[in-house]
Amino acid sequence: MALLELINVNKHFGGLEVVHDLSLVVNPGEIVSLIGPNGAGKTTVFNLITGLYTPDRGDIRLDGASLLGLEPHQITRRGIARTFQSLRLFLNMSVIENVTSAAFFRCSSNLAQIVLRTPGFKREEARIRAQAEDKLAFFGERLKGYRFDQPAYSLSYANRRRLEIARAMMTEPKLLLLDEPAAGMNPNETLEVTEVIGELRTRGGYTILLIEHDMKVVDGISDRVVALDYGEKIAEGSYHDVATNERVIEAYLGRKAAITK
Amino acid sequence: MNPPEALPEKFGTDEWVAQVDARRAGGGWIGKLGARWGALPISWRFLGLLLVGAIIPLLIHSDYVLRVIGTAWLFATLAVGLNVVVGYAGLLDLGFIAFYGLGAYTYALLSSGHFNVHLPSWLALLIVAGVGMAFGLLLGSPSLRLLGDYLAIVTLGFGLVFVQLGLNLDRLNVPWSNTPLNITGGSNGIINLDPLHFFGFSLSTVANYYYALLVWLAIVLLVIYRLNQSHFGRAWRAMREDPLAAEAMGMPTRRLKLFSFATGAAVAGVTGAIFAAWQQSVFPNNFDTNSLINLYAMVVLGGVGSLPGVSLGAGILTVVPELLRSPELSRVIFYMGLALALVFLIRPRRNGLAVLVGVVGLGLILRLAVQAVAPGLVSPPTIEVAAVSISSGFERASQSFGVLVQRWILLPKDPNTAGNLAYVLLVPALLAWARMKPSRWRTLLLVPLLYLLSFVWETRLSAEPAITRLLLIGTLLVILMIFRPQGLLGARRVEIA
Repeated sequence: MALLELINVNKHFGGLEVVHDLSLVVNPGEIVSLIGPNGAGKTTVFNLITGLYTPDRGDIRLDGASLLGLEPHQITRRGIARTFQSLRLFLNMSVIENVTSAAFFRCSSNLAQIVLRTPGFKREEARIRAQAEDKLAFFGERLKGYRFDQPAYSLSYANRRRLEIARAMMTEPKLLLLDEPAAGMNPNETLEVTEVIGELRTRGGYTILLIEHDMKVVDGISDRVVALDYGEKIAEGSYHDVATNERVIEAYLGRKAAITK
Repeated sequence: MNPPEALPEKFGTDEWVAQVDARRAGGGWIGKLGARWGALPISWRFLGLLLVGAIIPLLIHSDYVLRVIGTAWLFATLAVGLNVVVGYAGLLDLGFIAFYGLGAYTYALLSSGHFNVHLPSWLALLIVAGVGMAFGLLLGSPSLRLLGDYLAIVTLGFGLVFVQLGLNLDRLNVPWSNTPLNITGGSNGIINLDPLHFFGFSLSTVANYYYALLVWLAIVLLVIYRLNQSHFGRAWRAMREDPLAAEAMGMPTRRLKLFSFATGAAVAGVTGAIFAAWQQSVFPNNFDTNSLINLYAMVVLGGVGSLPGVSLGAGILTVVPELLRSPELSRVIFYMGLALALVFLIRPRRNGLAVLVGVVGLGLILRLAVQAVAPGLVSPPTIEVAAVSISSGFERASQSFGVLVQRWILLPKDPNTAGNLAYVLLVPALLAWARMKPSRWRTLLLVPLLYLLSFVWETRLSAEPAITRLLLIGTLLVILMIFRPQGLLGARRVEIA
């Protein structure tokens, strides 16, 4: 059964149809890439899935259960976590706290336990901390050791991107939504991100839906590619199929350029 | 500057760069002492400070001093409560003082002859905490959709409404009675409240309330500190940093906002109840906007988000205005502050000392010159040192210091006119000086400038201590906010990066 299903989803802002009759399926264990020119509605699709927007029509299902009407934090609880295109870290908190804070809904200590520092509370804190260190260890040596207690704003851009992924992992999702994880990175870093995404599936066991402009990344890891333009799905299939699809080329380059090519 | 001789191996690595603060803090004996203090476990530091607070009443028997320090504990508790809402959750709540007032009035109604209800204090305080929480939720719920400035305006409205209700709920017309119902006592407030009494022991002296407030502060600090170290604290701060990301990471931001409102309100409510029992009366103007601004000044001065910071801010802004109440004492503080600033802020240190000597010398020369040319212009010192029998040694010392200063400075016969002129001159001179680039001339110019400042102080400011102390505190806040916008103990925050 499909993990995530979008069924004829529509969304408009005023007169502007941002997502039009979009149907999309992500199966467990897959890496699916969402591509399309700027303004095609890719991030809007993410916002719809995570509950920041509600669709005007259509249904969004996780494991067959509809997500409509749930608040964003409830959707996260059901097993969808995301990163943001323009980073949204908790800049003035430490690296480790950025990650541990995402375990909020998995913490069960009540006020009395917290104020009295009961053994149960201490165990839970230690467990959460260990899990967070575990998630950060996914990125090798970069976010380890003394870095744990540094404020997030002291990190480099690439490390911030990694930290955001670690934070999303901490909610223990089934499905990870990555919004341009390689944006603003140099070729080496891009290569590494590609590897990390691959490992997120193999070692982490996450299913991944990805927005990416960098075709090297998309080509390297996608099982399937979905191309959007003006909120509509214009192509779907393997990277090769989509990359050579006429409508996709047209959407990226314009009609004239596409014909002369 | 020569590079340090042996560079550590890690020099220049990220790890080395990240430890810049730790290396900087090491300098001087103050820094070393601070580092030694900071290395102690937090519980030791907490208990140590608590112990210091607990032995003060054993050493000092003046009710006045205990009242001032007790008020400092009271405001520190309020500041810690406000810090939950503003510092952790990042919600600008300008109605906070209303919860303080609400607690005080609730206690007044439950423990006085006003409606002839006399509940045991533990029950009254429990109810006060409950009412505080309930109203925190009530005020919080319509505010949930408001962000930033809008939330501030709406909550400010709540605060103002509270004062108006306090003033006007003394004549409420009710359908079941012909005489209007008097709930709050209007501007006359409610008086003759029961003192706090627990299991047969009644708190009657200032020292009793001093300890009650200290214990309550300790409890609140402990609870808030531990709450902040838990997943709730992390979620509050995450919400302050980025509410949308917090929500997307599974934190129920609505409930967390309400929870922070309710926590702050409960703390403020119980503090208000203790305050009401202490002064045995409540009046609407105890909870007006002035108190609110005062409270915010404490939180901002100490450092938003830092528990020791906001407590320190409350202490400073309670104690310093009291110290500045007497002209003699405030004179001592003023000159001591100037001298210390000169010696510690100007590098190299000998320049600071040179300026100090220069100012004293300039004063003497001017004084002698004017006395020689026109002795009629100079007035003798206006201060008299009081007799031994009616004053303490400290008072006499500060009075003698005053006489000394007035013999040094050129005190004119007509201080008002000369002082006003000098004041008008001083303000642009200070502003111009502040805009100059650092240079030898700038340091040298400090000599006449500081003399002018002392002149204005002696002729005008020390004559009006009530105005002067506000001016001084205002100046202090402005200077602090320029040089240390995060407050005394606050952590530097990055808004955009």
